[in-house]
Amino acid sequence: MRNIHPIAYVLILPFYMFLFFFILVPIGMNIFLSFTNYDLIQWDFVGWKNYRYLFQDSHFHISLRNTSLYAFFTVGFSMVLGLGAALLLKGNPPGIKIYRISFYIPYIASMVAVSMIWLWIYDPMDGIANKILNLFGIPSKQWLYDSQYALSCIIVMSVWKVLGYNMIVFLTGLQAIPPYLYEAATIDGANSIQKFLKITLPMLQPITFFLFVTGVINSFKVFEQVAILTAGGPSNATTTVVHQIYNRAFNEFAMGYAAAMSIALLLVIAFITLFNYRYGNQGADLEIG
Amino acid sequence: MIVASILMLAPFFLMLTTSLKSSAELKSIGFSVLPRETTISNYLVAMQRGNWVRYFYNSFVITTVTVLVSLVINSMAGYAFARLRFPGRQALFVSSLIGLMIPPQTTMIPVFIMLRHFPLAGGNDLLGSGGIGLINSYTGLMIPFIAGSFGVFLFRQYYLNFPHSLDDAAEIDGVGKLRCFLWIYVPLSKPAFATLGALKATQTWNEYIWPLIMTTTSDMRTVQLALALFRDEHEIEWNYLMSATTIITIPLVVLFLFAQRFFVEGIVTTGIKG
Repeated sequence: MRNIHPIAYVLILPFYMFLFFFILVPIGMNIFLSFTNYDLIQWDFVGWKNYRYLFQDSHFHISLRNTSLYAFFTVGFSMVLGLGAALLLKGNPPGIKIYRISFYIPYIASMVAVSMIWLWIYDPMDGIANKILNLFGIPSKQWLYDSQYALSCIIVMSVWKVLGYNMIVFLTGLQAIPPYLYEAATIDGANSIQKFLKITLPMLQPITFFLFVTGVINSFKVFEQVAILTAGGPSNATTTVVHQIYNRAFNEFAMGYAAAMSIALLLVIAFITLFNYRYGNQGADLEIG
Repeated sequence: MIVASILMLAPFFLMLTTSLKSSAELKSIGFSVLPRETTISNYLVAMQRGNWVRYFYNSFVITTVTVLVSLVINSMAGYAFARLRFPGRQALFVSSLIGLMIPPQTTMIPVFIMLRHFPLAGGNDLLGSGGIGLINSYTGLMIPFIAGSFGVFLFRQYYLNFPHSLDDAAEIDGVGKLRCFLWIYVPLSKPAFATLGALKATQTWNEYIWPLIMTTTSDMRTVQLALALFRDEHEIEWNYLMSATTIITIPLVVLFLFAQRFFVEGIVTTGIKG
């Protein structure tokens, strides 16, 4: 039984080639690029210049601020609402299939398509958002063209889109809580608020933590909705980190500088991931799914 | 809950009704939820603006090939990591973990440069210069989606739950490891294949940023990119834009309704075990 299986290398090779050449090597290349001023034609070493510039670049600072705000509110709202929806669906109410489908479809549909629909909703002239406001006698707003509202508009759409994901993960978590815990609590005379606070929330803690961390990581990658709804505008009110990377690299061809931004983003995400591994282990023994 | 469901679906309802309204109705004052007169000619007009048959073909080819290749290479590697013994297994597996953590947005610049300078492709010489490499090619559009470790983890996890008696029985019968994988493990892991397939199909079909970077000619556009450019290249006429949006959303929603279980499994797996 102690023999080894050389065939394993053959089975792993194709997967590993892709991993090596298109994930591992690019990380190294990215570090290298971030110390150059490569512009697709020529390059020179520039030392730490790109990284120093990160501290002066006001666009990058705005993008960090916007991305953080986006992450905070999108994750917060989609988790609270997702938990709420999961609680409503927990007892398998009639029609649960339809409800579940209605929550998934926004998550399945592409960000481009969904952004087009919301572009129409937020249209300052004929959009339904203004029509609803007008019904209540509130004057029309410029929505995506108003730097005061634009980021909020993007957040509202994104919450709507990822809500279903949070709901389904919470729902799986809720269904894994052993019913006898609630039965015991009932015998002890606990009311439903006590049960929620003392049983449901603690039992969901690993999942909540997990959703929070992955939600924040995903939020730091936000790009498509920004590119389509506002292109970062008005006057950079909605630009995000990935939007800045894209702009610098593929509109201005400042590949070296964009690589430095990518490394900064990578460090943020690596930090959150390690945080997850370090403190998220309470959830590791809870096998669900 | 009914109210919440209606709110969740309302934007799609708006998309559908707008796509059926005539241009005259949209320009007129006043608003009704349902179209006053239903017209499907918007779809025909929208599809004639740009070569949509070609865009659908592109998206379809890219999605299908990506799904198939991912299934093959990930199931093979997942089986090897779960069931075979070989020196270096631990190191190879741990280094694969990096593939789970690295968001593609942080490597898109080097991957783009590498594919642009791919040797002997798109007019490039052996050293990878002179031409456009894999830009505007299906290969270039697919590679980033085929690379990635999630599928390997999914299959490994799945195969680890198989009883060892399966392998023992195969060994007693003199069946080699490769045939054991092909004859026993593959036929028993259809759900894992369907789950990864659903997940990869969604990801690839919906992708926007990579086709945006990797294509310069309208011939190579995917449906997502074509929709984004549809808005930029024409004055916005909402009924046509919503028709195009509906059409590119339908294939995935239909696939989802038929294979719901696997999509949900995929969502939950990315959530919990990923």
